Amino acid sequence: MARVVAAVDVGGTFTDLVAVDEITGRLYKVKTRSTPQRPEEGFLDAVKKLLENFSPNDFELIIHVNTIGTNLFRGQLALKMPAVSLVTTKGFRDVVEIGRQNRPELYNIFYRRPEPIVPRERRFEVSERVDGKGVVLKEVDERELESLAEEMEKIGTESVAICFLNSYLNPVNEKRAKEVLSRRLKALIFTSYEVDPEYREYERTSTTVVNAALAPVVSRYIASVRQGLDGLGVTCPVQIMSSAGGLVDVDEAVNRPVACIESGPAAGVIGAAKVAEAIGLKRVISFDMGGTTAKAGVVVDGLPATVPEMEVGGRVHMGRIIKGSGYPVRFPSIDLAEVSAGGGTIIQVSKTGGLQVGPLSAGADPGPACYGMSGEEPTITDANHLLGRVEHLLGGEMKLNTVLAEKAMEKVAKQLGQTLVETSWSSLVLANLHMARAVHIVTLERGLDPTEFTLVAFGGAGPMHAAELAEQIGISKIVIPPSPGLFSSLGLLMTDMKYSYVKGYVKIISKDDEEKIEQTYREIEAYAVSQLSRKVALKDYRIVRTIDLRYLGQGYEIEVGAPHPFKLEEVFTKFEELHSSTYGYKHVGEKIESTALRVYVIIPTRRQTLPKTYNQRGNAAKSVRRVFFRDGFMESPVLWRESLETGYEAEGPLVIEEYDSTTVVPPDWRIHVEDNGCMVMKR
Amino acid sequence: MSLPYEVVKHSLLYISEEMGVALRKSAFSPNIRERADHSCAILDWSGRLIGQAEHIPVHIGSLPHGLKNTLAYLEKKGVEMSPGDMYVLNDPYIAGTHLNDITTIRPIFYRGELVAYVANKAHHVDVGGIDPSSISIRAETLLQEGIVIPPVKLMKENKIMEDVVDILRNNTRIPDITLGDLRAQIAANLIGEKKLLDLIDKVSLPVFREAVEQIIEKTNQLVRQEVAQLPWGRAVAEDFLELDDRDLVIKAEVEVGSHGFRVNFAGTDRQVNKPLNAVLGVTIAATTYTIRTLLGPDILLNEGFTETLSIHAPEGTLVNPVKPAPVAAGNLETSQRIVDTIYKALSEIIHDRIPAASTGSMNNLMMGGTHPETGRAWAFYETIGGGGGARPGMDGVDGIHCHMTNTLNTPIEVIEHYYPVLFMSYRFRDGSGGVGRWRGGMGIERSLKALAPLHVAVMGDRSRHRPWGLKGGGEGAPSEYLIKKANGTIIKLSSKDVATLNPGDTLIIRTAGGGGYGRIEK
Repeated sequence: MARVVAAVDVGGTFTDLVAVDEITGRLYKVKTRSTPQRPEEGFLDAVKKLLENFSPNDFELIIHVNTIGTNLFRGQLALKMPAVSLVTTKGFRDVVEIGRQNRPELYNIFYRRPEPIVPRERRFEVSERVDGKGVVLKEVDERELESLAEEMEKIGTESVAICFLNSYLNPVNEKRAKEVLSRRLKALIFTSYEVDPEYREYERTSTTVVNAALAPVVSRYIASVRQGLDGLGVTCPVQIMSSAGGLVDVDEAVNRPVACIESGPAAGVIGAAKVAEAIGLKRVISFDMGGTTAKAGVVVDGLPATVPEMEVGGRVHMGRIIKGSGYPVRFPSIDLAEVSAGGGTIIQVSKTGGLQVGPLSAGADPGPACYGMSGEEPTITDANHLLGRVEHLLGGEMKLNTVLAEKAMEKVAKQLGQTLVETSWSSLVLANLHMARAVHIVTLERGLDPTEFTLVAFGGAGPMHAAELAEQIGISKIVIPPSPGLFSSLGLLMTDMKYSYVKGYVKIISKDDEEKIEQTYREIEAYAVSQLSRKVALKDYRIVRTIDLRYLGQGYEIEVGAPHPFKLEEVFTKFEELHSSTYGYKHVGEKIESTALRVYVIIPTRRQTLPKTYNQRGNAAKSVRRVFFRDGFMESPVLWRESLETGYEAEGPLVIEEYDSTTVVPPDWRIHVEDNGCMVMKR
Repeated sequence: MSLPYEVVKHSLLYISEEMGVALRKSAFSPNIRERADHSCAILDWSGRLIGQAEHIPVHIGSLPHGLKNTLAYLEKKGVEMSPGDMYVLNDPYIAGTHLNDITTIRPIFYRGELVAYVANKAHHVDVGGIDPSSISIRAETLLQEGIVIPPVKLMKENKIMEDVVDILRNNTRIPDITLGDLRAQIAANLIGEKKLLDLIDKVSLPVFREAVEQIIEKTNQLVRQEVAQLPWGRAVAEDFLELDDRDLVIKAEVEVGSHGFRVNFAGTDRQVNKPLNAVLGVTIAATTYTIRTLLGPDILLNEGFTETLSIHAPEGTLVNPVKPAPVAAGNLETSQRIVDTIYKALSEIIHDRIPAASTGSMNNLMMGGTHPETGRAWAFYETIGGGGGARPGMDGVDGIHCHMTNTLNTPIEVIEHYYPVLFMSYRFRDGSGGVGRWRGGMGIERSLKALAPLHVAVMGDRSRHRPWGLKGGGEGAPSEYLIKKANGTIIKLSSKDVATLNPGDTLIIRTAGGGGYGRIEK
């Protein structure tokens, strides 16, 4: 008898499955090729492989992450954009295409806007109007909508987005329009009020349209996954990771697919949050450095930081999405800044004759030159190798080729008139600078002081760069979790279920509103609980309340945690502290306006501990090799992580190898092995 | 061992970006917080631009010019900058744009030595003057456009000079918002200073200085390489701005050659007693922008680049007026026409990468009045996009901000929540793009109904002289500014006009489409 919880991550190239048998605590790993045309096949292949070890009844839960959403909007895959129609207030059907009317590239006269998801001929206007105070000026005309339904049917419509001006204040016209259309039209219909009940018409319309476009694709996909699993005899529930970093059931994923667009990378931050909890850290930065990119996220008091808005299909510039380059989606998602800096990132000479690291990547194929897979460009991994930081991968199964690394790096070093070591070290410093930038976006720009944080470093290359990155930022404590290379997938197994609910609440608030707000919170909570208890066993759960606040007149809100019962003074104090740390000043006594009340229902997973993942290999012999640090090469002991006992302590310089990663401990840093399997580095 | 060049180069970009984020997120006016009508920059010890966030071309291009003028002004006054100072100004003849753009400058001292400046410029909705939002065709001198602030101390020993702030407070229709935005500007400079000092601490001062020299030198080399690849030649063009029934001429002779670029505005009309005069800072910004678009994406906008560009703008003309000529629309409208004129000339030299004329205006809308619920004064400013010019091989972009501006629109739901107006439309103007092998982008129609008496001012152009096509492409549709009275009668406004709307009256603005490119094949 076994009890299996499996996490399936369907990525662009590979589908990864990580499973834990909760009875034995053993961990299983399966990798299959993704099948972009029919993504469910890769998913089911992976499950089939796992079934070689288990019977279908052993499955207790399957957790799922996919990139269908992002792929659909990047247009990379053969996924076809569904026929979506949009219904708007008369006079405003082009709002969704005009966007914010800016151009993302200032000096590019050959700029092209992203193709609209709903082309002009599918955008319909109806006469209705609600004013800026929420008063209905004109009700919807049923006959107009009925004939519209006919027309939409004629042109073929799989799903419909309804977005009227000011519906965030009063949704009655949207509701009525949906009722009428539902009677006449066989299509999925979404109102902006249900999907994203907040102000700013373009962002709300875009979110609703993205939701409408995803819904048919996601529901078909989920249905075929379910069917396939049932065919294999696996009847356990499937839960989907949302962008906000919690699990949701398949109903939610189908009704609000915008909630699950960008879920893959969030798993690492969830893992970091669990590490923080296990060690008792209040503030951690999750730093995930893999083959092509590095990602930074933040966890404060056990909660991963989220941002209220993102753009799908957009391009990234200096770690931040370029506004206007994609399709905005307003749904809380884990705050991640991503920069092109990974092991495979290419080092080259820029047009101006300087050293340039990224954004090109050699990826997994051909990979870094030292892999010997015919990669000819020098990469960050080659630089690390030439500096003695990494000798081999996969616990020695894959040797790195020094001659090829030298040959590749030589091309760049020669043009710069530098030695191989100089160019290699400079490349690492530059890569660290880019990564520090990512960390600054999720900390400094959100009003958090990164020097007060602990860095949780993982991904294949994370522990190799962590110390110097920490120095660059001013951090003095690092945690390296067990199995850094596999840590993101482990994060999935440790994720809680999390549902979010929001209610727009635009009002200048004072002491008099305390009761009304408390009551509104209770209403949202009662609604949430009644909705949820219909589909999950609601026994142990936690409710987190937040409120979006700003000074009257400002355009950007700060999400502030709110107590239970609601206390105005407390949230005002928190708001002013946050404002002050973000912008360097506060306006005491200035009027404060709320814009939204948010409620998160969190149902904790039982899997609280970090799974032990080591292949027992026995003690590897200790060796010594020359490793380059800031001040030059130093003789550094090389240890095998599994052979380190709990409580082991040592000072750098030091290299600690393990199957899926290598930790570099520079001089001035000390390392300590904790009883939960984490290594803690301090300076 | 160090690698100062790349570290410093990237850090400077990052720091200016972070300044911009801070400014925008803590600002009070929809114009800055929603539309991002602001820019941030870092300048070196001698006032050379070394870091900028890509915000608004007309701001960025004028900042180094403004800083140099400011330093010269302070020197003449015998004012010596000290640590803890911050300066504020908006005098267009010094700062280089118009009165609405308030510039704040913070000198950065490292161990007592002046090493750099951080600065930002933000468009304030109202700085006084004859009409709300301070941009009005009625202004006949600078003094009618609002308060003129010469470079004065806004901070001394890190304390805000409240008496200076009080002068500003008493010279705007919306003091709360103006002061909120000013605070955001101060915060942005302080954040920039902190990060810049961290950077210098990390790399050391001599290394920082050396890296700055290298950044400029390398940009210069790169520009020269690119110039060598361009076709060389010389051409002259002229284009027009509309003022009542008059056509004001902008004329430019453009030369591309081994030296780089030369632009000579001789032949441009004399300055006028209407706010269409573009101060020299604006002319520099517009010329710099246009030339910059010919070059690859790696070129930084610093002295290494601007050194290859020589600009001659005769004094007393529309492109280099003498005080106190009014200037509010110089950087809104005249700047756009400067771009068009230079492109027109360039199209005869470089044949495969010059676009047809775009909408050619920022289509400025100013509104204000007394709020019926609060009884308080309000003022609102926004700009409206238009049709992009068709490009060789590509249609023009529909309804977008072109060339010298890149502000966002104001969400209709924000405007309707705060001000007594109701929007009737915001959509593309069908058929407004110029015809051609590639068609011009469509203009925009934006219309709103007054719910209370309100004063409006429009500042646009291209209502007679339509955006031109290239290589046989057709012209874009002209702009239109109309009032539909509550009783249904239509009143046609000129492209630069003021009017009063009574409740029920609707203002309709239709912006010009872009010109087409290439003959239609029959």
